[in-house]
Amino acid sequence: MRASGGDAGAFRHLVREHSGLVYRVALRIVGPQDAQDASQEAWIRAWRNIENFRGDSAFSTWLYRITVNTCLSTRRKESRRKEREYSGDELPFLPEPPSVEADPEAATLNTQQREELLAALEHVRTEHRAALVLRHMEGLSYAEIARILDVPDGTAKGWVSRGRAAMLVALTEQRQDDREAGERAR
Amino acid sequence: MMPADDRRWEILENVGAYAAGELEGEKAREVERLMYERPDYRHLAESYARMLVMLDTLGNEPVEVPSAAVGYAVRRAYVSAFMRNAETFIGALGRSYLDALVYYLGLRKESYAEAT
Repeated sequence: MRASGGDAGAFRHLVREHSGLVYRVALRIVGPQDAQDASQEAWIRAWRNIENFRGDSAFSTWLYRITVNTCLSTRRKESRRKEREYSGDELPFLPEPPSVEADPEAATLNTQQREELLAALEHVRTEHRAALVLRHMEGLSYAEIARILDVPDGTAKGWVSRGRAAMLVALTEQRQDDREAGERAR
Repeated sequence: MMPADDRRWEILENVGAYAAGELEGEKAREVERLMYERPDYRHLAESYARMLVMLDTLGNEPVEVPSAAVGYAVRRAYVSAFMRNAETFIGALGRSYLDALVYYLGLRKESYAEAT
């Protein structure tokens, strides 16, 4: 609340406390190349608008909203990366990776899996990607996602659902492309 | 009649919602029936489950925040707070000088008389 009165010192504490949230969300939505710029821009917007924060919602929800909006406007300026299309008769299938265990607590990703996931995320439409990140990586409820994205609950649910499907299609096709490239190289 | 592509997407999304534990009642039963009848739907649900585990794992990985990502915004906040304070100070100082000048030139005699 001191920060919303223009106290730069209090704002610095907020930045320290929540910098992980802002950078993490930016990294997932705009990718590693633009995450730093998007993160900086989100904090500048947060400072400019902090006097409007009245504490009606949690500070983290307000910050998520600023971060996601910054990321979405960053992405809208750029030409849209082609979304992978699902038109085949075969359903997408992701074979079981050897190192990912069923228990999320015990699971770890290797570099290749991490890169695959991030690359597949790039092929999901930005709004759907943002909803997917908030739901399945940040663990937020649909009501929170709807507030952050400023859309009705049903739209938030639809975006997550479409993002999930597009992500699976992108991941499957990407693995297929890699496999074909590997076979050609042999 | 729903076009074939739309129908495929609908099934794709429904199985995804089922794998995420978001379907209930009749819709969940319908997906379970599809999975029972067709192994490719079962594989689809398993693929979703694997992907969701990977997303969750990635979401829980700690992220190192580059100092430049926050340092710049904090500096901007300090500079803008300083400018705001300086503006207030200079404004107040200017008003005081103006008051003094008005008093010096004797343009506000009544108020001086009231004050004394």
